[in-house]
Amino acid sequence: MSEYARHEHHEFMAASAEAMANPNLQGALGKLASSLGQRNKDAWQALDGSDHLRERARKIKDETLAELDKHLVTLEASVTRRGGKVHYADDAAAARSIIQEIVRKIGAKKAVKSKSMTSEEIHLNGALEEIGCQVVETDLGEYIIQLAGERPSHLVAPAIHMRLPDVTEVLSRDAGRPLPADATVLCGYARERLRRHFAEADVGITGGNFAVAETGTIVLVTNEGNGRLTTALPRVHIALVGIEKVIPKFADLPVFLKVLARAATGQKLSIYTSLTNGPRQPGELDGPEEFHLVLLDNGRSRILGGPLRESLFCIRCGACLNACPIYRNVGGHAYGGVYAGPIGAVITPLYDGLPANHHLPNASSLCGACKAACPVKIAIPDLLVKLREQLHQSPEAKHSRLEGLAYRLWARTLKSPWLYRLSTWLATRTIGRMKRRTRWMSRLPGQLHGWTGSRDFPAPAAGRFRDWWDGEGAAEGAGEGARDEGRGARKKNGGAP
Amino acid sequence: MKSTRDSFLERVRDAAASGRQYRVHTHETPPGAGYIGAGEDPLARLAQEVTLVGGQGTVVADLAAARKAIGELLTRFGAKSVLCWEHPLLDRLGLPDLLNAAGAGSISHASLARLPLAEQRERMMAADLCISSTTYAVAETGTLAVCSAAGRERCGSLIAPVHLAIIEAGQVVPDLFDLFEKLEGEGLENLASNITFITGPSKSGDIELTLTTGVHGPGQWHVMVIRDARS
Repeated sequence: MSEYARHEHHEFMAASAEAMANPNLQGALGKLASSLGQRNKDAWQALDGSDHLRERARKIKDETLAELDKHLVTLEASVTRRGGKVHYADDAAAARSIIQEIVRKIGAKKAVKSKSMTSEEIHLNGALEEIGCQVVETDLGEYIIQLAGERPSHLVAPAIHMRLPDVTEVLSRDAGRPLPADATVLCGYARERLRRHFAEADVGITGGNFAVAETGTIVLVTNEGNGRLTTALPRVHIALVGIEKVIPKFADLPVFLKVLARAATGQKLSIYTSLTNGPRQPGELDGPEEFHLVLLDNGRSRILGGPLRESLFCIRCGACLNACPIYRNVGGHAYGGVYAGPIGAVITPLYDGLPANHHLPNASSLCGACKAACPVKIAIPDLLVKLREQLHQSPEAKHSRLEGLAYRLWARTLKSPWLYRLSTWLATRTIGRMKRRTRWMSRLPGQLHGWTGSRDFPAPAAGRFRDWWDGEGAAEGAGEGARDEGRGARKKNGGAP
Repeated sequence: MKSTRDSFLERVRDAAASGRQYRVHTHETPPGAGYIGAGEDPLARLAQEVTLVGGQGTVVADLAAARKAIGELLTRFGAKSVLCWEHPLLDRLGLPDLLNAAGAGSISHASLARLPLAEQRERMMAADLCISSTTYAVAETGTLAVCSAAGRERCGSLIAPVHLAIIEAGQVVPDLFDLFEKLEGEGLENLASNITFITGPSKSGDIELTLTTGVHGPGQWHVMVIRDARS
């Protein structure tokens, strides 16, 4: 596996080219559209009034964020009333040291983790290993990539980039004996192995899909059941939750549960939804004795006050990844951040800084499939355009004089009828006629090649519309109306249409 | 000096205020949007949905029929060590007698509570069958909603490779929205320390998106619905 599967921050174009040339990865990603992507579409179709339900979820998010500070205070009071402890972490470093402190205090030697993107975001595992606490990822996909030393490449299917032979190799190395290349047997192996870790762990660490302010409920959604074991067996439960995950009311929860499962996997409900309400009650034999909620800001408040606020609606379902033609071709690692795909292209630059992730806002064709798939209807293309604007206006942005001149000339031409007529006449008589056959230009001269480096540029038509209109078009226009003759688009790099 | 908490909340308050100019436009949604319900026969629907998500859903007429069906299942499973919930419905069924008859040993809450923690864990994790009832069930989705309590442990529907849940008509609600109304009706201050919604056997698609069952939770999931569970 390439270096870019292990590390963050790299050139998107180079990593993408590598990804596109990797037949193994292409095979793995090829299944995405017909499985998760299709199931997501079918689920919206099967649910009567799904659009209203998504709108309702969106509305709750918008209203909650408008009063987020108040909901956080309510959440704190509810968690405290249930016997839990709330910690506030300004940034990743603060969150790491809060969790290190809890782990140190209880003398934990082993932590089991249920899948949590937030913990990836703060790079928690290394921080715990540093203080002598072993961390075991328990989501099957996360366990596999932890053993392989890689990063997750999908929000809900973290090991989606690996094929069965890769997984077999990784798990066989862990077992110290060759395992058969059979998903069921490999699962059985992981079950046995992870059960031992669960039995030995002193602390269970989870994220949280939702945090209900009025009850102090932390909601965990999984299909495997590792989230349940993580919150049933260890003596201490730590939940690391971004502040945007708060929802005000218990009654808001079914709205989100219904849209989350449909968007993530096309299920009516995920297999396991755990609502944890603080430590165990007297007489109970399982469940944590201690509960800590770590509320993470790490740039979220900065986003909350700005034009990209809507990105905080995200419930991390992964639907936009499955829908995105870019993601489905290059996979998650190429994006180079913790969060991949369309929503990752928005929030990675926001959390991690725009200069370090300047390629991400452009890693999209703005086709809108992400917005259509989103359970809270986040206008991801609009947000990407806003980020491009910020990039353009940032002091580091390179503005070429020549480019400025070209745009000014173009604007002047469009504003003046005679200049416009002259320019189209020139374009059709020259390039238009030269490219009459192919109709596409693969390489523009000089600096303009920036446009054609990764795609073709359409050549002007061989004749002007106005000339056609004055001639044969006039007769046709009087009838049923002129029809444009479709000129099929051509992809430069082949691949899936 | 201000505490981390106060400066944190102050920062969020300021951000929330200045973010209000970027609020999105949303339109009103009709009341009841997304409510589906379960049709004429919620019990049959429940069993059907349970089977659709990969479990085994059955409806039986009464306690006698349930006893017979449970006896058959116990023989089929060949379970030696059964982790059981304490629940009035299971009492009415006379579950201990059924287990005895099938030669299965049961792990009771009382026997576990006496053991030191490590041994408790070992005993629970060695269970080869979990038998529970439920707190509520949602017909439309094929979901059990189990609330934890002493004698109704989290592990009691989780730890063994097979989970059998025996439920009665009064526990079934049509839709997920109805479930939340029920839970809220019992008082939000009284929520159990853990409430888990179970909608299928444990599943994973993490290896090449191929569906495998039983990776962490039970790989086999049986739900038996008793239409009339009066004794």
